[in-house]
This record gives sequence, C-alpha cells and structure tokens, in this order.
Amino acid sequence: MTSLGQVVLAIEEYRRFVVSQIRKARTDHEFGQQILQKWQEAKARIGTTVTPTGLRLPRLALPDLDEAGEIARFLCEEGLPGEFPYLTAAYPEQYLEPAAADSKENETRRNHEKPVIEEPTRLFAGLGLAEDTNERFHYLSRNQRSKRLSTAFDGPTLYGVGASADGVFGKIGEGGVAIDTVEDMERLYAGFALDQPNVSVSMTISGPAPILLAMFLVAAKHRFGPDVGPKLRGTIQADVLKEVQAQNELIFPIEPSLRFLADMVDYSSREMPRWYPISISGYHIAEAGATPVQQAAYTLSNGFAYVDYFRNRGLDVNVFGPRLSFFLDCGLDVEYVALARVCRKIWAIGMREVFGGGNRAQILKLHTQTSGRSLIAADWHNNLTRTAAELMLACMNATNSCHSNSADEPFTTPSEEYARYAAHAQAILLEESGLFRHMMNTLPGSPGMKVIGNAVEEAILEEFREIEQQGGVLGAVERRYQRSQIQASGHMLENQIYNGVRPVIGLNRYYDQGRDWPEVRMMRTPKEKKQLQLDRLQDFEKRHAGESERCLDRLSDVVDNGGNVFEELTRTVEHCALGQITERLCEVVGKFRPMV
Amino acid sequence: MSPIRILTAVPICDGHDSAINTINLEFIRHGIEVIYLGYHRSAKDIARAAVQEDVVAIGLSTYNGGHIEFFGEVVDLLEQRRLAPPIKLFGGGGGTITHADAQIMYGHGVDRIFFAGTPLEEMVKYLRGGYGDVARFPYDLAFAGSDQFLSRQLTLADNGSGLPPQASETASAANKHVRSTKVIGLTGPGGAGKTTLIDELVLRFLHSHAADRRVAILSHDPSIVGSGALLGDRATMIYSQHDRVFMRSIGTRGMAGGLSLSTDRCLKILAESNLFEFILMETVGTGQEAIPFGVDRHLVDQSVLVMPPDYGSRIQLQKIAMIDVADVIVVNKADLRGARTALTEIESRIRTNRKGQRLLRTQANRHRDTGVDQLFELLFTDTDTPQ
Repeated sequence: MTSLGQVVLAIEEYRRFVVSQIRKARTDHEFGQQILQKWQEAKARIGTTVTPTGLRLPRLALPDLDEAGEIARFLCEEGLPGEFPYLTAAYPEQYLEPAAADSKENETRRNHEKPVIEEPTRLFAGLGLAEDTNERFHYLSRNQRSKRLSTAFDGPTLYGVGASADGVFGKIGEGGVAIDTVEDMERLYAGFALDQPNVSVSMTISGPAPILLAMFLVAAKHRFGPDVGPKLRGTIQADVLKEVQAQNELIFPIEPSLRFLADMVDYSSREMPRWYPISISGYHIAEAGATPVQQAAYTLSNGFAYVDYFRNRGLDVNVFGPRLSFFLDCGLDVEYVALARVCRKIWAIGMREVFGGGNRAQILKLHTQTSGRSLIAADWHNNLTRTAAELMLACMNATNSCHSNSADEPFTTPSEEYARYAAHAQAILLEESGLFRHMMNTLPGSPGMKVIGNAVEEAILEEFREIEQQGGVLGAVERRYQRSQIQASGHMLENQIYNGVRPVIGLNRYYDQGRDWPEVRMMRTPKEKKQLQLDRLQDFEKRHAGESERCLDRLSDVVDNGGNVFEELTRTVEHCALGQITERLCEVVGKFRPMV
Repeated sequence: MSPIRILTAVPICDGHDSAINTINLEFIRHGIEVIYLGYHRSAKDIARAAVQEDVVAIGLSTYNGGHIEFFGEVVDLLEQRRLAPPIKLFGGGGGTITHADAQIMYGHGVDRIFFAGTPLEEMVKYLRGGYGDVARFPYDLAFAGSDQFLSRQLTLADNGSGLPPQASETASAANKHVRSTKVIGLTGPGGAGKTTLIDELVLRFLHSHAADRRVAILSHDPSIVGSGALLGDRATMIYSQHDRVFMRSIGTRGMAGGLSLSTDRCLKILAESNLFEFILMETVGTGQEAIPFGVDRHLVDQSVLVMPPDYGSRIQLQKIAMIDVADVIVVNKADLRGARTALTEIESRIRTNRKGQRLLRTQANRHRDTGVDQLFELLFTDTDTPQ
C-alpha cells in the first residue's frame, strides 16, 4: 500500500472517530459535560463587531446548539476557523477588519492571535522584459499595504530555453516576462524591499524552477547582502507532477525533476525558512479540462506524493510540511461551493494521521485563481461577472490569497485597465461589501454546502482508491491515468458547450449577432524589446564566457555525484544563463519525453 | 481515394494541447489522416516533418503569443523548399489571434485562421473543401536526393499508384540485393515501448555516426480503409526530429498483421534512395499471431521483438509466434515487476529454439540506459548482417 492508500484509510477511520465521539458525548455524561464546557468557552472567546449601520454582530457565528452530541459533531467535522480539521478556514479572522481598539474584549483577544492581516489580493503579472513587468508590479501594488507580487513567465523561460534559441524570437516576452539571466532577475523586482516582511514574491514556473529560484536568491543577495535568505518571502510553483498530468511544461524526466525539487526544498527549508518552495497546483489541471473533483483529487494526491518523496529523502515533515502551499482553480460549477473546504480537511487528516505532521504542517494554505477557461471572447464584458461570482465562491471557501482574472484575458495579457477592475473586484467583495469583513463565517455552513461537501469528499476518496490501485501517484502517472481522465473531461466539457448542455451566456445562449468581436487593446512585446533581450543575453554570455564552461562542468559533477544540485545552482547562475544550464542538465539527465 | 493527410502541432515553448487534442479527434472522425507532432515544436521540426510526411496542410494551435512570427517562419521554411503543390498552413489560437493579426498572417502566406468559437464542423468542412483534391505528381529529378523527392515517391507508392517511374528504373538493381542500407524491423505488442526505443537508438546513432550519415524511420499506425487515423508516433519522439532523420508514418488502411499494403514498396524506395545507413521499421502494436516481416523475414535484415514484462502467463508466452522468428528479443520496461520472470522464461524458450537468437533487457525511458546501449551495439555495429 502506498501512502495514498493510508490516507484513504485515515479518512475512513476519522469518519468512524466522529461517530464514536458523538455517541460518547451522548452516552458518557462526563465527556458530554466537557464538550458543553468547551462550547461555552468557545462562545465566550468570540469578540463583537459593529457594522457601519450600527448593527452589533459576533465576529464568529456558531450554530445554535445545546446538545453535546451535535456539538461534538460540529467540532469534529468542521472545527472552529483555524482549528482541526480546518473546514471553515485555515486561520481565524482571515478577512476581518482589525477589531476596534476601544473594545476591551477584543484587545485581550488580539494579543494571542495573528496580528497582521494581509489583503489576499495577489495579481499575476508578466509581460515584455523584466523592467516592463517591474513597472506593472509597481502600478498594481501602489495602494497595497503588503506588496504581493506574482510573476508570469514567457514561453521560452517556462521551457528553460534561451532567448537566443532557434525559432523562439517571436515568443520573447509574450504572455509573460522574459528571464534569461540573474541580471534580468535583478531588474524584475527592482525597487521592492525584498528583505522586508510586507513584500512577498510568487513565481509561476515549474520545469526550470530550481534555476529560477537560484537566480532570485542570488539577485537578492546582490542587492541586500549575503544574509538575506532567511528574510525572503514568497512561493515558487515547482509542481513537477501536474506538468506531467496537465500542463506539459516539464524539461527533465520525472525522476531527476523530483530530485532537483527535493534538493531545492531541502536547501530552502534550511536557508530560506520563510519561502514556500512548492505550490501544489490544481489550477492547470482544471484549466486542461478536469472536473472539480478530479482537480482536487489529483492535486491532493500529488501533494501527498511529494510529502512521501521528501520524507524518503530524509527531510522532516515538520520542517518542510509548513512550507508547502496549494493553488486551486475556482470556476462556476457547484462543487466549488465547498471544494477548497474539503481539501483542507483531507489534507489535515492525511498529514496528521499518516505523516505525523504537527499543527503547522496540517494546514493547507491556499491560493485561488478564478477560472481562465470560463472566460470567453464572445460578449466578453460578461467575464467581469463570471470572475466576480467565482471570486465570491473562493472567498466563501476562505482562500488565503486570490488572483481574479481580467476580463480581457481570452485575448491578451491583461491590460492595465482590466487588471485594475480585477483587483477592485476583490476589494469590493472584501472591503466594500459586508459579506466577509464583519464575521468569519457569514456564509459557510449551509445545509447545501454540507451536502455538496460530503459528496465531493467521497468522490475524491474514490479517485484516491483508483490511483492507489495503479500503484500510487507515480504508478498512475506512468500509466497516464490522470492525464487520460483530464483529457476525457476536457473533451466532455467542449462537447457540452457545443451541444448546449452546458450553457455559456453569449456563446451558446443569448447569442447576440454582431457583438461577437471586441475591440481590445492587445498587449504585445515590440520587436525592438525582443531584440534587446537577445542582445542582453548575448552580452551576458560574452562577459562570462571565461567562467561558464567551468561552472557547467562543476554542475554536471554535482548531478552525477549526488550532491545538492540547488546549492550548486546558486553558484552556476552567477555566470551561466538559463538556456545554457538547461541544455547542460538535459545532456546529463535526459529530456522529458512528452506524454500525449 | 486516399484520405486527406495533414500534420498538426503546437508551436515551440507552448504546451497548450487541450484544443488540438479535441480537434485531432474530430478530424480523424471525419476521415482525415492526422500526423500529430505534439507540443513545444520548433518551426524547423514542423516544416521538416510536413515535408517528410508529404501532407497537404499543417494545422497549428497556438496560445501563448508570437504567432505572427512563428507562422511566418513555418511559411518561409516551406517556401524555401519549392514544394509542389505548396503545403498550406492553417491554425487557430482562441482569442489570442486577432482579426488584424490574421490579415498580417494571410499577407505572409498563411491559408486560414480559425477564430474563437468556430464550430469544429466548420473546420472539417474547410479542410475537405480546400485540401481534398490536391493532385500530386513526382518531383522533377532535379530534386533527387531531397526529402521532398523521396517523400513524394512514398506518397505515390502508399496511395497505390505502384512504384513511381523514377524508382522503377532502379528497381531491377534492388532485386539483386545490392543493398547499402540495413533494414531493422521492430515489432511487438502495443505499449511495449517500441517508439521510445527507436528514439533512443536514433539518439545513439546521431552521436556515434558521422554528421553526413542519415537514418530513416518507417512507422506504422493502424487505420481503417476510408477512415481517418491518428499517426502519433512523432509526438513522443524527442531526438528523431532532426535533419539527419527521415521519418515517415503510414496508416495500415485495413491491413492486418502490423504493416501496410505499401510497406514493401516504401521500404524499397527508402533503400534505393541510397540516403540512409539504416532504416528502422516499426510495426503497429501486434497480437500473438503476428509475424509481420514474414517467416523468412525477407522484408528486413534483422528483426527485433520488443516485449513488456507483463505478457501474462507462461502459456501466453508460448503463443507469441514472433519469439521463434525474431533475431533479437528485447524485454523493455525492465524496471517493472515481472521482468526477471519474463527474462527467465524467454531465455529458456529461445535456448530450445537453437537459432542463435539474442535476448536483451532495456529500460528505454531511462536516460543513458546501458541495455539500450547494448541493443544499439548489436543492431548498428554488428557486421554479421548484410551491410
């Protein structure tokens, strides 16, 4: 049995445990009293808030229960926000406005709870060259207390191909930022105080992730000195498994890819303790066509596979566990009413029961992005509404950070105008509306949400059982199981849109002739900029020509001798460009053979 | 009538293959033969493959920008070859290609862009109308030695018009077995890893043989007469998309046994071209009864049976006819459970055969696998077989 099979058993065992706790609360008088006592204490801890209209509300709404069995059910199945199994939220008070300073009860409470509340807004950006994206970052974050930068890379960077590679010229800086060297990386985050706690950086890249993170670390050291590592905050995607299953941006074969990843996790857990070295991603699985259940099941099982792999490498689950983070898609299907909640619960139980993770390792920390696939070209202003509805679902599921898509995304890298609307949508929901800022659980906990959650949970377990049957995650990957399921769902989805089973407003319903093509300003990278990137790369390679070959040879040696490849990369990137490093590593470990 | 043959791919540094997968299925459902090159493919690889496969059109699905340049590059590469008739280029990219972009691309020679929301039926209709009845004639002898010359000969042979005139002239010479090209046939059940193994052998060839030496691959995929087919071997080959490799995919068009009616003619054309040191011929995934190269293996110089370790019981093994015929038997995926059992059982079987058959174990999906090295030595440097 692989660890995934053990997770299934643990979830089933937990269900039995809940039943036994309910029975005990009802039959064992003393235990029942303890439960009631605990409930009273929990109620007493809840602070109050006053709305702008003068309404006084509790900051957390607890169900109206006075029977020990039902209270036990609530505490075990859902838990309070920030308590096992974290169904409602990973942390208490996530979106709440800070309590009024004059309130005495709030004052004491605040002392032992999370003091800094960050806005969840994290907008994905990347276009042109490093300085162009840098400018966009400054624009997007100009009003934010916390600067949360999220970086999209262009195709050549995602594939670890240099700007000078044959036939990629047209792709430079399209759909993301072009990064070839550590010098580009310095330009990318120029002007941001990366050593300050209110700045964090996210990088959406997997295949060459260790090389890019090495560049980031070295660029930060150039600017803030050699001791900056422990101060750096952020996330790099580095999700090898979902690349094989859905996104197709893998460079090296699976085995060496996992090894490079583990080297990076090992290093960053020690030297960059505030960094999240992997973002276990369902987003691209869902965008490739997976159903919400498939998204959740494959993402969680990939997560458990990583934990298993890192543990077998001798890494401590309580050191790396808290540094894992997740990234899910949120679309308009009904499953999304409860999907992320269920994921938090399954992760918490699996991490605690199977891997021995402590509290911090049990918490599934989640970044959500609204569904890009749900946005369409026809009558494209409707995309504003789609994104708003998805955003609402994401917040109901208490995502820890969120990216809302721009309405013009079916055509282009977001324009400034629509990126602003996307950011404002979050602010409207979280700050302007009263839905999320007064109470921790204004919306969660409805009977419908519970029913959907239970159905989703069982369907996820059923997927786990199938994957286990195929020898666990890696065995199933080898047999193309996840890939085939995702593709089949993708085809089903397309067919449903074509034959109208799945209504898409403005496309297959309420289609308005003559409104089908928009006037959108396309974000394109001009030829001169592409040439500039190429010139810069060639200049870098020329300046480092004396060192680069020696550095690459040393890197090859480390790969062959089983040393920490990430650690070596922090030296390699000083003198070598991304394309040179990738090419060398491919010579040593081979290329990923595409699955189709 | 021969089916419409097109090549589809996703451009370099782009992995968005969801749309193209759906479109490929729709095309083959409507009787089109689709050679799928996969994603993250350079313009050079696409143009080369299109010429070698002698398709009427190329379809590109692009989603992360740079399409004006990329499509332009493919058109330019095709134009340089002075193809007759020219290979048409069509494509789509959802909303990422604007009408204004399309106008620029049309100006550069792109045939057709399909915009977001185009129904699949409309695409199929366009392909049938635009690419359905393209007459093909042999290239002038001035093109002899080029990929397109060879490729057109194969097309004419494959479409049943017999040997094209240029080839017939030299056919008598070939009958005397004056062969400078060694033909290696690889067969085995589907999923045994034949394609991966061939790709790894090609990698070793490219490294070990002089830069002017070439290798040809003749790859078979199953198809039914009058219907479409997905010829997808190229998509998983990473080293064989190379100027020193000539690869041709053919559909069996209803033939049983792992090969096509035209295999014989195609092999002859390839061998007589005198362009290749080796020809690697891959059959479709075969059943237990198949002896695709004939009992006397007259089609090939050396035959290789590639097997996965999980063929079932010992009784099942007894039924595999190729085991008594193949010169070399390879147990691939040797990392899987059951590999040792397979090796032992096959070993004892070929010992009783007393034919000097060779048994090797490989793990083709592993970089620098020593088993594949040994196989390469055996097939590509062995001097016992006619060279």
